[in-house]
Amino acid sequence: MRYITRRAGLFLITLWAALTVNFIIPRVMPGNEASAVLATFRGVNPSALHALEIEFGVNVHQNLIVTYFQYLANCLTGQFGLTAQRVPVLTEIISKLPWTLALVGVTTVIAFAIGTMVGVVSAWRRGGRLDGILPPLLFIVASFPVFFVGLLLLFVFAVTLNWLPLSSNYSIGAEPSLSLSFAGDVLTHALLPGFSLVVVTAGLWIYSMRNNMITTLAEDYVKMGRAKGLPSWRIMIDYAARNAILPNLTGFAMQLGYVLGGSILVEYTFSYPGLGYLFYTSTTDHDLPLMQALFLVYTLAVLICVLLADLATAGLDPRTRDA
Amino acid sequence: MSIAEISATTTLETGALRQQRGFARFLQAVLRNRKATAGTVILLLIAFAAIFPGVIARDDPLAAIYGQDLGPSAQHLLGTTQLGQDVFAQLIWGTRLTLIVTVVVSAIATVISMVIGVTAAYVGGVTDRALSLLTDIFLIIPTLPLLIVLASYLPPGSLTMIVVLTLTSWAFQARQLRSQGLSLRTRDFLAAARVRGERTSYIILFEIIPTMTSLIVASFLGLSVFVVGFAAGLQFLGLGNSTELTWGTMLYYAQQGGALEAGNAWWALAPGAAVAFMGAGFALVNYAFDEIGNPALRPVRKRRARTAA
Amino acid sequence: MAWTWRPNRSADTRSMRHLRPITVMAVAGILAAACGSATTSPSSAGSTNKGKVGGKLIIDNESGSTWTCQFNPFNPSVNITSIGFIYEPLEFINILQTNPDGTPVVTPWLATGSSWSPDFTKLTMTIASGVKWSDGTPFTANDVVYTFNALKADPALDLNALWSVDSGPLTSVTLEGTNQVVFTFNAPAQSYFYYVADQTPIIPQHIWGSLDQSKLDAEADKTPVGTGPYLMSNCSQDNIKYLRNPNYWQSKPGHPVPQIAEVDYPAFLSNTSANLYLAQGQAQWGAQYIPNIQSYYISKSSSTRHYWFPPTLNVSLFPNLDNPLLSNLAVRQAISLAINRQQVSQRGESGYEPAANQTGIVLPTYKAWYDKSIDTTAYDPAKADQILAAAGFTKGSDGIYQNGQGQPLSFTIKTISGYTDWDASLQVITQELKAVGIQVTVQDEDSDPYTNDTQNGTFQLAYGEMPVAGPGPYYELRPMLFSGSIGSTNYSRYKSSSTDALFNQYSGASPAQQLQIIQQIEGVMAQDLPVIPVVEGVDWYQYDTTSFGGWPTPANPYAQPPVWATPDNGMVLTRLYPVS
Repeated sequence: MRYITRRAGLFLITLWAALTVNFIIPRVMPGNEASAVLATFRGVNPSALHALEIEFGVNVHQNLIVTYFQYLANCLTGQFGLTAQRVPVLTEIISKLPWTLALVGVTTVIAFAIGTMVGVVSAWRRGGRLDGILPPLLFIVASFPVFFVGLLLLFVFAVTLNWLPLSSNYSIGAEPSLSLSFAGDVLTHALLPGFSLVVVTAGLWIYSMRNNMITTLAEDYVKMGRAKGLPSWRIMIDYAARNAILPNLTGFAMQLGYVLGGSILVEYTFSYPGLGYLFYTSTTDHDLPLMQALFLVYTLAVLICVLLADLATAGLDPRTRDA
Repeated sequence: MSIAEISATTTLETGALRQQRGFARFLQAVLRNRKATAGTVILLLIAFAAIFPGVIARDDPLAAIYGQDLGPSAQHLLGTTQLGQDVFAQLIWGTRLTLIVTVVVSAIATVISMVIGVTAAYVGGVTDRALSLLTDIFLIIPTLPLLIVLASYLPPGSLTMIVVLTLTSWAFQARQLRSQGLSLRTRDFLAAARVRGERTSYIILFEIIPTMTSLIVASFLGLSVFVVGFAAGLQFLGLGNSTELTWGTMLYYAQQGGALEAGNAWWALAPGAAVAFMGAGFALVNYAFDEIGNPALRPVRKRRARTAA
Repeated sequence: MAWTWRPNRSADTRSMRHLRPITVMAVAGILAAACGSATTSPSSAGSTNKGKVGGKLIIDNESGSTWTCQFNPFNPSVNITSIGFIYEPLEFINILQTNPDGTPVVTPWLATGSSWSPDFTKLTMTIASGVKWSDGTPFTANDVVYTFNALKADPALDLNALWSVDSGPLTSVTLEGTNQVVFTFNAPAQSYFYYVADQTPIIPQHIWGSLDQSKLDAEADKTPVGTGPYLMSNCSQDNIKYLRNPNYWQSKPGHPVPQIAEVDYPAFLSNTSANLYLAQGQAQWGAQYIPNIQSYYISKSSSTRHYWFPPTLNVSLFPNLDNPLLSNLAVRQAISLAINRQQVSQRGESGYEPAANQTGIVLPTYKAWYDKSIDTTAYDPAKADQILAAAGFTKGSDGIYQNGQGQPLSFTIKTISGYTDWDASLQVITQELKAVGIQVTVQDEDSDPYTNDTQNGTFQLAYGEMPVAGPGPYYELRPMLFSGSIGSTNYSRYKSSSTDALFNQYSGASPAQQLQIIQQIEGVMAQDLPVIPVVEGVDWYQYDTTSFGGWPTPANPYAQPPVWATPDNGMVLTRLYPVS
C-alpha cells in the first residue's frame, strides 16, 4: 500500500509541477501574449484597453499570486476559458480528442503487439534469421524522426502513386456518419499517419521485449519448465513472455509521452485535425489558454497511464508492494 | 528519450563488469563489431562534412544564383531550392550546426544527469528523495509538448534549441546513473575514500564517475539519437531560427515551399534522410555498445560462424 | 492615432503569407469620393445576369484551423466567414478601382447615398428601404444607429477605433427623420468614411439589442441573421455551407441575386491540402499561395484557370532614423541603389510579388497617383559605391565601409519569423548589400516581439509592411511617415513638420489638391528615403471559369478578389453567375 500512496503522491506533485510550469513560462518569457496584446493596443483609450485585458485574461494589474491561485482553481475545475477564436477551450479540445485518441490508441496497440511478438520470437530463436534482421533494422528505423517517415510515405503513396490521401481526417464534403463508406474514408486517411507512428514505435518494443526475454529465459523457472518437458510454445508464452512483459509496464506507460509527441509531428505532417495539430496552431498563434490546457491534457494522459501501470504492476508483482 | 531509455537499461546491468575489463579492451571490442563499424563510419562521414564542408560542396549554400526548383543533375546533385540555391551544398553546410547542437546538448545533458543521478545515489536521504522526485517529474511530463511550449516563447535560434533540449532530456539518464551509483555505494574503494576523509564532491567526481565511463558514453549516444530527431522536429515545425542553416530549417523551408507537391522532392527528402542517417549512426554504435557490453545480448551463433570461416 | 489588433491565424504567423492579416487601421484622413457623382450602382451586375440560378461554388483558402462555427461579424478571427456572406456594409468602397481623379469607386449598398457637411464634421447617410433581415424583419435606419452605438457600448467591437477618446472622431450617431443617420465627428473626419461605410457590418437590433451590450464581442452568433446574399445553412468543423438568400434585397423579377445556389467554405489546415484541392479542380475560388503555380495549377486546365495577384501594400526596409549611421542620407541612398528589386521579386517571391518603387506608390493599383518624374528607383551598385565614398566612408580590410570613427556599415535586419518568402528575399538583399560593402545580418523574431521592437524603435533595420491597405496610397503613407505615428506604425521614426503639414492639409483638400499632396510626399519618399520599398505585397487569388463567370479580373477589378477581403467578397458573390 505504501507503494501506491507514494506513487499517488508523485502523481499529484507532477500535476502541480506541470500546472506551475504552464503558468510561469508564458509570464517570464519575452514576447508573451499579455505584453504583446497590450503593446499592439497602444493608443487605444484606457477603457477599451481594460475591456481587452479582461477579454484576454491578461489583467496585468492583478497580483501574480492571486492570479496563480485563480489559475490553479480554474484548471482543477476544468475552466480553461476561451481560445483566441473565442470558443470554450474545453469544447475545442473535446471536439479534436477522438481523432488523436483513435490514432494514438490504435497505433500504440498495433506497435506494441508487433513489437512484443517479434521481440519474443527473436529472443526465443536467438541468432536466427528473424533475430538477425528485424531487431537491429527496426531499432535503426526507430531512430528516424517520425516526420521523415511521414514525409517519405506521403511522397511515395500520396504524391507519386496517388493511392492514399495527402492530408486531413476524411474527405472534404464527406458527411460524418456511421456508414461503412465513411468509416472506409476515415480509415484511408488514417493509414499513412498511423503507419508512420507504428513504424517508428514498434522498434522500441521489440528491443526492450527481446532483451527482457533473454534475461527471463536464463531464469531457473524457465529451465524448470524445459526440464519438465513442456511444449516450447508454452514455455515461451506462459513462462517467459508473461514475466518479461511485467517489468516493462511502467516503461510502456511513460513511452506514451513519446508517442504523443510523435503524434504532434505526424498530425502536422499530414494536416490531421487532432489535438496535435491544435497544439501546434495554439503555439504559433500564442493562444495561451488553449496551449496551457493542451499541455495539461498531454501530461494528464501520461500521468494516468503511469498510475494505471503502477497499479497493474502492484497487483501482479507482489515484490513491489513492500518495495 | 526512448531509445536512450532502452539501451541504457541493458547497459546498466553490465557496467560493473566493463569497468573491471578496462575501457581500452572494450573499445577494441566495439571496433570488431560490424554494427559499431558501420555506425562509426557514418558518424565520421558526418563529422568530416561538418568540419570541412567546403571540400565536399564548393557552392555557397545561401547564394541564390541558380535556376529555381531544378531537378537533380551533374551540376546540382540534389537539385536546387525554390530560391535557386544548391540543395546539396545546403545539406553539407547544414551539417555543422546540426551536429554542434546535437553534440552540445547531449554532452551537457549527460553531465547534468551524471551530477544529479550520482549525487542522489551517493548522498542519499532527503537530497536523494528531492532529486529523484525532480527526475520523475521530468520523466513524466511529455517531452515534445514541453519542448514546443518552451521553444515557442524563447527567441528562435540555436541557443534556445540547446537550452530547451538540454532541459528536457537529462532525466532518464539521471535515473539510470542513480541506479548504477546505488550499486556502487557499498564498494570498498568508496569506503576507503571516505576513510581518507575525501570531500563528497571529490568522491563523486574522481572516484565514482570514472567507473561509469561506459554507461556515460552509452547515455551520450542514446541522447544524441533523441536530440538530433527532436531538434529537427522543432525546426520542421517552424520553432527554430529560419536564418540558420541546419537540416531542420531546410526541411522547414521545403515544407513551406510545398517541395513534395511541387515536384521538388529532393529538397525535402534529402535533409530528412540526413537526419535519419545521423540518428542511425548514433543508434548503430549504441546498439553495438549494448551487444558488446552485455554478452547475453551478443549474437552468439553469428559470431561463431564468422570465426569459423 | 490608434490602430487595432486582430489575432493572427496560424497561416499568417507561421508560413508564407497565404492569408494576410486583415487588420484595419484607423488613420485620420479624407476620402474625397465620399459623396457625389463617382458612384456605381449594385445593379450594374445586370450585365452578366442571365436570370439563371444554380450551381455549387467551393471556396479554397487555407484557414489554418477548423471552423468554430461562430459568425459574430465583430470577432476578427471568425468574421471572414460572415461579412459579405451574411452581414453587409452601408456602402462598398473598392480600393483597387479608381475614378479618373484618383478617388476610389464607391457603390451604395445598405445606404443609398451619403453627404458631408461643408466642414466635414457631419456625415448624413440615407438608408435603403425595402431591405429585409433574413428572418423577415424589415431592416431600418434604427439598425444602423444601433450598430454604431453598440460599438460604443462594447469597445472591444470597435475594431477601427471610431469612438476612441484621444483621436475619437465620432461623438454621436443619431436618427434623423425616418431613413437618415447622422454621424457627428469632433473634427473634420472624412477619412473615417471608409471605416464607417465599408468596414462596419450592420447587425439587427431586434436580435443583438436583447443581449448584454457590454459583452457583444463574446457573442458566438451561431445562427446569424443578416441582410446578405447568403444564409448560413449548415456548419461543421470542416465545412460551412451557405445557401442563397431567396429574398435578397438586390433580387428583382427576372434578375435574381445571387445566382449561385450554394457556396461551400471548407476548412483547410495546411496550404498543401488547400493547394491540392484547388489543383484537382474541386474548388473554384482560391486565395492561395501556390509554389510553381503555372505547372501546379494553371497548366492542368489553362483555358479555364487563371490567377491574378493585385498588389496593395509595399514590403519595405525600414531604417531606424535614430541610428546615427542610418540617419545619414548617403547610407540610405546606397542601400536603395544596391538592392536589385527585380532580383528580390524574382528570387524571393518567385516573381509573384512585383518590384516596388521608391515613391511608395503601389503600382499598378494606385497608378493614378504615381508621378514617374519624381521616382528615383534605380539599381546601380557603382553609384552606391560613389555616394558612400563621397560621404567620407572608406572600405575596411573586410570590404565593409566604415565612417571616420571606424564604425562599420554593419546592421541587423529584424523581420517576422515564419514568413519564408521574406526570409528568402532577405537572403538576396543580404548578398546584394554585401556586394557594395554594407554588412547586414537577418534576425528573425516572432510577430509579437517584432511588433514591440518596430514600435519602440529597438532595431536598426526592419523588413515588413504596414498592417493594411486602404482606398489610396494615403492610407499606407500616412501611418508610415506621420510623426504622430511614431510609437505605432512610423517604424522609421521619421519626423518632418512639412510632411506632417501635408498630411494635415489633405483632409481639407479637393481631389486635385490631394493628388498634389500625395505627389509631394512621393518626393519626400524619393529624396529623403525614410522608408525603402522593395517589393509589393499582393493578394493571392485564383479562379476557374469552367462552371462560373463574373470573376474580378485585371480588366474588371470591381473588388479585392481574395475571399477573405471583406466586404469585397460580398460584391463578388453577388456578381458571380453559373455557366451552363
